[in-house]
Amino acid sequence: MMIKSEAEAAAAVGGEEAFDPRTITRPDESLLTYYLLVSACSLILFPIVFVPLFIRYKTLKYRFDSKGVSMSWGLLFHTEVYLTYRRVQDIHVTRNIVERWLGLAKVPIQTASGTSGATMEIVGVREAEALRDFLYTRMRGARSDESGEKATLGSKPEGTLLLQQIRDALRESRSREGSQA
Amino acid sequence: MYRGVWAALTRCFKVPQQAPNLPTVEGGMHRSFHPSPRFLSYLKLYFWVAITLINLALIGAWVMLYLGNPFWAWVLSVPLIGLMVIPDLIVYLALHLRYDTMWYVMTDQSLRCRRGIWTIVEHTITFENVQNVDVHRGPLQYFFGISTIVVETAGATVGEGQNEFAVGNKAILEGIANPKEIRGLIMERVRRSRSGGLGDDETIWGGEQERWSREDLRLLEEIRDELCSEKSL
Repeated sequence: MMIKSEAEAAAAVGGEEAFDPRTITRPDESLLTYYLLVSACSLILFPIVFVPLFIRYKTLKYRFDSKGVSMSWGLLFHTEVYLTYRRVQDIHVTRNIVERWLGLAKVPIQTASGTSGATMEIVGVREAEALRDFLYTRMRGARSDESGEKATLGSKPEGTLLLQQIRDALRESRSREGSQA
Repeated sequence: MYRGVWAALTRCFKVPQQAPNLPTVEGGMHRSFHPSPRFLSYLKLYFWVAITLINLALIGAWVMLYLGNPFWAWVLSVPLIGLMVIPDLIVYLALHLRYDTMWYVMTDQSLRCRRGIWTIVEHTITFENVQNVDVHRGPLQYFFGISTIVVETAGATVGEGQNEFAVGNKAILEGIANPKEIRGLIMERVRRSRSGGLGDDETIWGGEQERWSREDLRLLEEIRDELCSEKSL
């Protein structure tokens, strides 16, 4: 809970308009409520369903940096997933009706790995849209200056300049010959 | 009446009513659209066929019961009518909701699809990462003049038993009346891309300077023409 309060403090300093994913280090507390509701649906199997989810909630940590994001969870079986923003292929945002009521969302992210399902599923975030747009703007191809047009419309490469010089020199000598004749 | 029910339902289910927003550059294309209205007719055809069959079966069962025991047949007629009407109304509303919640947004860089009532799913991909675009059309879809466009990235395919709209590498655009135009728009943007769509940087491929650009080729042609005209003199 210490980390959570630190994150909140950082968010307060950063202001509301600038979304900073680095402040997201822990899932929102309402994720536990969601897990409780999900487990409650299994009635008699409640403890079996709830305990792993509770451990997952308690150990879940996120770390967003300038290049990528890591997510880790697990007590006995610890898992950490790290991926870079550039390699993201697909971003989904899913919210079922319970999640909408609680203001939560899941953000499954995919890279070009071959495993079925999402590479990383970010759960328990309140600002899913802002997070999604943050990831989107860092994904390859999201900015227009990255598209192929840049090469042809931007400053001329050395080779092109050289060719231009050859052509102009040729034209000049041709016109000189013409005037002499 | 439908609008009133719709407004109440969307409030209750917290369904967003506006098209999803997609960050874009100033002056760039930003196109958001629903599937074609013919897609709704297509869904409704399935609906009418299904309810006709179910209701005929229910009426058949009732007639059998009536022939055997008229008293119970009359007693059960009221819940039977309920059974014939109420699920149909719910499904009919759900069809409209399904249609109204489906949105496709395209910009010069990317594509976003939204769908769902209980679970709202939004899928975002950039054209830089698109690997292939498929257009599917079945006989019934042909009759209604609509197609399904599937835009695939190199991401992982959907796992066993998972919702293909909620996870996976396919952006599925259902009920498109102008598939050629949409596919053209997408492929034009995919062709512009110079990478393999795997998050690779352009510098990996030796940089732009080692390649003949269109301008380089034009210059070479001009040099050739100069030389040819010199020869002809």
